[in-house]
Amino acid sequence: MKRRASNFLVSTVLASVLAAAGAQAADLVISAPNWPSGQATANILKIGIEKTLGLAVDVKPMGTMNAFVGLEKGTVDVQPEIWRPNFDDLVRKYVDEKGAVTLAGKSVAAWQGLCATPSAARTIKSIGDLGDPEKTKVLDTDGDGKGEMWIGAATWLSTGIERVRAKSYGYGENMTLVEAEEDVAMAAVDAAIATDQPMVFYCYAPHHVFQLHELTRLEEPAHDAAKWKLAPASDPLWIEKSSATTAWDAAHFQIGYSSALTEKRPDVANFLEHADFTAEEVTQMSYALGVERQEPLEFARKWVEQNEARVEGWAKP
Amino acid sequence: MNAVREKRSTSRLGRLGWLVAAGIALAPLMALAQTQIYDSKTGKWVNYDKKKARQLYARNKQLPEAFQRQIVPFRTAEAPGTIIIDGNQHFLYLVQPGGQAIRYGIGVGREGFGWAGMVRVGRKAENPTWTPPPEMVARDPHAAKWAAGMPGGRPDNPLGPRAMYLFVGDSDTIYRIHGTIEPWTIGLDVSSGCIRLNNEDVIDLYDRVDVGAKVIVLMQGAALYKGV
Repeated sequence: MKRRASNFLVSTVLASVLAAAGAQAADLVISAPNWPSGQATANILKIGIEKTLGLAVDVKPMGTMNAFVGLEKGTVDVQPEIWRPNFDDLVRKYVDEKGAVTLAGKSVAAWQGLCATPSAARTIKSIGDLGDPEKTKVLDTDGDGKGEMWIGAATWLSTGIERVRAKSYGYGENMTLVEAEEDVAMAAVDAAIATDQPMVFYCYAPHHVFQLHELTRLEEPAHDAAKWKLAPASDPLWIEKSSATTAWDAAHFQIGYSSALTEKRPDVANFLEHADFTAEEVTQMSYALGVERQEPLEFARKWVEQNEARVEGWAKP
Repeated sequence: MNAVREKRSTSRLGRLGWLVAAGIALAPLMALAQTQIYDSKTGKWVNYDKKKARQLYARNKQLPEAFQRQIVPFRTAEAPGTIIIDGNQHFLYLVQPGGQAIRYGIGVGREGFGWAGMVRVGRKAENPTWTPPPEMVARDPHAAKWAAGMPGGRPDNPLGPRAMYLFVGDSDTIYRIHGTIEPWTIGLDVSSGCIRLNNEDVIDLYDRVDVGAKVIVLMQGAALYKGV
């Protein structure tokens, strides 16, 4: 037992030393956001770069805001998923104004809107249907005759915009808009589907909920910038002063990297410019980590192995 | 598919939760929704109220099929071991591996006591002591008798044989998942904000759930958003 204990001590010390050495030796740092597809992508880039360019890469968990600061300071080299228009303010500051961060040319298409469970989709097919109290009463779960609809978490910017949309389209009159954490809303979707209950809710893609359940996106008029008049969110009355009567603009996300890499590591910049993922692949990543609970690094190893030729192609000039 | 449903036309408390969740405070609206169950003898949906529940339980010596413990398909991103409580439909799901869950019938809070949000099992107890809340002591002479706490293990202890105490972080909420001395109340809105299962089920759940388990109380219906 004693021997085992001392062995354990030696291995622990050794592991710490190696870890410290590893940290010092990293040629590149990739930030990993806290959502599953971002973690998967961070690790895929790590394994891909290590394998094709022979560099040592660290993945460090951090929020997007800190990642941008790190990209400018040189403590972070890559941010795997920069969502637009969500992070447009950061892009304006660090990409357009300071030139400290470069956005890779390839992007993944994303969208947000409203979704319906199969039971709800039988009567509610479009945003217009939400304005009909006769149709939305099937969404009533608290017995007041008005349907309820989850519009997002209280902290999300999109949640306020969903309020604006409900007001502008008019269905805010006959529906109760609910804010709650995403976990609570997604579990509500799971329970609704399990018992074939109708539910309509804010949704965005890529997201693993579309792998879990058969959902229908409600139809609505295509985005028209002229019909989106959003007052600045800093104004306490911005929701009342705003109006939006079309679908959200299409969103997308892309890899961001420190502009210094172009000089310092042009091979890495080249790799990142070539790295491409489809929306379907991102959904699968989200599902593998978020639902199947695969370990990000292990998932990335398998992914790179299965897509070997493609990843090697990213490293070619 | 499930021989139970909610009658949507009847007014029901639960509104406060939605409104608080939306950041608006309103006085509670007092009313109860009506659960319905399918009577296979008559082939009709019938209101499942306290009287009907008691009659059926006396006749069948068991809960309606929908409220009996069963394994159901349940696809979710939540990890096995997570509890999801759907107060509107009176079901508690314990997530299992492989896209399944164990579903238990539950009784939930009557008006003024419902809630919703994310909590965790902070503590578990066998034969828990029942301490009636002060407002119950004030209105109920039976409760007043046990103001200092009714020992666990008594057949009239309303918590039944097991209790799981729901915490936010390290703080106890006043809510518990527990058993019952009135098994026919499963499927109804009757408890003081707590989640009650029949005693066999609460023992089964207790044995499967670890301290620390994530508990999600859904937004719908009887569940009010308390801000936890």
